[in-house]
Amino acid sequence: MTVGLVSVLFVGAALIAAGALAAVWRRDVTAAVAGLPLMFAGAGVAFVGVARFAAAGLHELVGQEMAILLAIASLALVTLGLGLAGRESPR
Amino acid sequence: MDSLHAVGFYASAGVSLLGGLGVALLQRRDSRGAALAATAIGVAGIYLSLSAGFAALIALICLLACAFVIAGPAHRSLAPAMSPLWRQLGAISAALLFALLAFSAFKGDFVKATFYGGAFDTAALGRLLFGHDAVAVVAVGVLALVAIAGSSAAWHLRERPPR
Repeated sequence: MTVGLVSVLFVGAALIAAGALAAVWRRDVTAAVAGLPLMFAGAGVAFVGVARFAAAGLHELVGQEMAILLAIASLALVTLGLGLAGRESPR
Repeated sequence: MDSLHAVGFYASAGVSLLGGLGVALLQRRDSRGAALAATAIGVAGIYLSLSAGFAALIALICLLACAFVIAGPAHRSLAPAMSPLWRQLGAISAALLFALLAFSAFKGDFVKATFYGGAFDTAALGRLLFGHDAVAVVAVGVLALVAIAGSSAAWHLRERPPR
């Protein structure tokens, strides 16, 4: 059993598609926001795979760096989206 | 890559994809949050099996925080008037996107290189993050600051009673 760049890119593509499905399928906007971290995580998986299997020299770790920045950006965007939606009013 | 890492990769990929489908299809907020938490664990496992330990730690923290925020009962539901036809077209587009990305992954001709980094190479990553690409790190930091401050302000402003 082995892992190559194709396997990693396949998993990243599936995560991106699952995030896109969550973003378009949910009727509730605040539920659709949950697709954002999935798509960012899929892109991060692809970046880490490229860093592991297809990068060399000075730029060997740039993919990991991009994955870190994408994770932080996804958290910021989810926080912003749900904050803009506002609080459930008490009944 | 040895067999142990390969088994870890495929198990983590399965967990993350099941969690991703749960986020897309489950109805309740807490279930979606739990599914996103499962995705977080799976993605961290993928990173770990690909020798990216520090990225795994950061992604685990950030995605678990996303899951906690999404599962929280406090935020309001906003349902726009979108017809089922558009939602179905969007779902078909997501499937086409997956087919396109998978096709390009299978048919692509990628460079092969040997990885010489360690499993948890924080020193080299720190040099890269705070030396070579410091501007990008500052930009993401400003984005996070503006997003958290803006969401906090919007959260409290909506609750202020009218004068």
